[in-house]
Amino acid sequence: MRDATDDAAVRAVDSATVRQPTNVLIVGVGGQGVIMISKALAWLAQSQGFEVKQSEVHGMAKRGGAVFSHVRFGPEVWSPTIPKGEVDILVALEWAEGLRWLPYLKPDTGIFICDTKRIVPPFACLNRHPGAPLRYSRETPAEVRAHVLEAYAIDATRMAEELGNDRAANVVLLGAVSTAMDFPVADWERAVTEFVPKKTIAVNLKAFGLGRGWIDDARRGTPAALEAEPVFATPRAPADTPYNVRLEITPGWCKSCDICVKLCPERCLQLNSERIVELAIPEACTGCRLCEWLCPDFAIRVHLDSVQDMVAAQAGARQ
Amino acid sequence: MSATTMLDSAAEFDVRDYLRAEMMPHFLCPGCGHGIALRALLWAVHELAIDKDRLAVVSGIGCAGRLSAYIDASTFHVTHGRPIAYATGLALARPDLHVIVITGDGDCLAIGGNHLIHACRRNLKLTCLMLNNEVYGMTGGQVSPTTSETRVTSTTPLGNSEPHFNACALAAAAGAGFVGREVTHHVPKLKELIKAGLAHPGFAFVEVMTDCTEIFGRKNEMGSSAEMVLRQKSELRPSAYRDTVDMPFAAKDLPTGILARNDRPEYGEAYRRAAVAIKSAADNPAAGRKSRQ
Repeated sequence: MRDATDDAAVRAVDSATVRQPTNVLIVGVGGQGVIMISKALAWLAQSQGFEVKQSEVHGMAKRGGAVFSHVRFGPEVWSPTIPKGEVDILVALEWAEGLRWLPYLKPDTGIFICDTKRIVPPFACLNRHPGAPLRYSRETPAEVRAHVLEAYAIDATRMAEELGNDRAANVVLLGAVSTAMDFPVADWERAVTEFVPKKTIAVNLKAFGLGRGWIDDARRGTPAALEAEPVFATPRAPADTPYNVRLEITPGWCKSCDICVKLCPERCLQLNSERIVELAIPEACTGCRLCEWLCPDFAIRVHLDSVQDMVAAQAGARQ
Repeated sequence: MSATTMLDSAAEFDVRDYLRAEMMPHFLCPGCGHGIALRALLWAVHELAIDKDRLAVVSGIGCAGRLSAYIDASTFHVTHGRPIAYATGLALARPDLHVIVITGDGDCLAIGGNHLIHACRRNLKLTCLMLNNEVYGMTGGQVSPTTSETRVTSTTPLGNSEPHFNACALAAAAGAGFVGREVTHHVPKLKELIKAGLAHPGFAFVEVMTDCTEIFGRKNEMGSSAEMVLRQKSELRPSAYRDTVDMPFAAKDLPTGILARNDRPEYGEAYRRAAVAIKSAADNPAAGRKSRQ
């Protein structure tokens, strides 16, 4: 009796496992084609007789938000969104977006496929001092692989560029995804043909094959794929010479028009008791020169003194 | 020039090197955008490494016309509406000079409108910088040819009912070699535009949208100087901000940047060639007749 119940419980768990949908989460930044490849995947799954649910959030990603699309398919799908930790395949079209969604990946069996394309969002540049480090992820593909069972970092954007159209990068990744599913290649190609613009069908089919081949090579450990380990330079701010900002203000020329005070991005200027501009918060000033440029009375001159110069000047003063 | 990037150039350029310090501070009202335009002009001059002794600035009457007095170069402050006429003579006589005209919207389009269109037609090497603040500021805020519809001025107390000039379209239609427009809010872009105009081998017309806070803004309740500068971005909507998301449904759209280029022959060159031919014909009438036979 007891055995029978256990068996029933095991059977119930088994059938639940079998009936679990396949969860694919596709993430990226606006304009990369996240929605397009998720639609192609959903269309393909539907054509294979599965029940499909897809839901997405798009827009504003260039301003630091995310574009993501949940695609779930299987014999039976109830919710259109994938719970945290339930993603079977996480496809990321941008490196940091991929890392952001990693907690959604199934810890034991999930596959992570990520483009190494890096699009630095404005949020990573909140500190506007030149030389300030960008707050973009510094993890290397090797570090990520150590935490994920099966992870691929593909330089899909470069591969697509070599084909002559960098916008086909998403289809390169779709090709990579295709290796993780059992659909026939011909059907995949039909799905790609269905969704890409008519003029780009040829290049996109090539991109698809390239992505598929890349994963196959990587699985077999072919040196070509391993050598394709992308060059992964940490992004840096353009200038990293430290300097101090000094504002030279000609009080007699200032007419208290307030343009510099109101238009300073750091809000570090103010008018003093005589209504002449002064630098109220020197440590906030980044030396962007907006006040100098927008002062109609030429009363402000921004000097960026390098630290070496200042040390030399102090040494000179001491002597 | 040693500067390689825009930021290097900005660090190197000190506007005071190009100003007559004894004339400063200038007479413009607090917050007047003309000063910003003047800085952009001098920055462009600096980047092109134009010698001050080779720089001639001609200006007419009005707030913009007054600017020439502050530039440390050869400057002429001439009669109302005629700076282009004076500059034409100067540029024809002295092709070695860089001749710049600073003029206002009323000076250039109303009083001197005829000179403008004929200068465009001739395509003589000149740079005409028209500072458009939509009003006659110096004389008390009368309506000007560029005052927008419904704006209040001292001569249109119930709002302007006339349509206004599109100065750039006018200059392009009249055949100017180079036509551009920019707002003062974006100083480096304005500098680049003026630089391109100065480098152009024919007549370059650059319209700068500036703000007149005291005379125009006050009557039209357009806020402080800073608000008026920001208004250039939000209300005029220059090309650079066309896709910004803050006001996607604003109807206005101000084309900025280089708007027209006509590669027509430059007039001064043709004029000098004709002058030489006429002179040689006059000096040597026999040869002239012989060549005709």
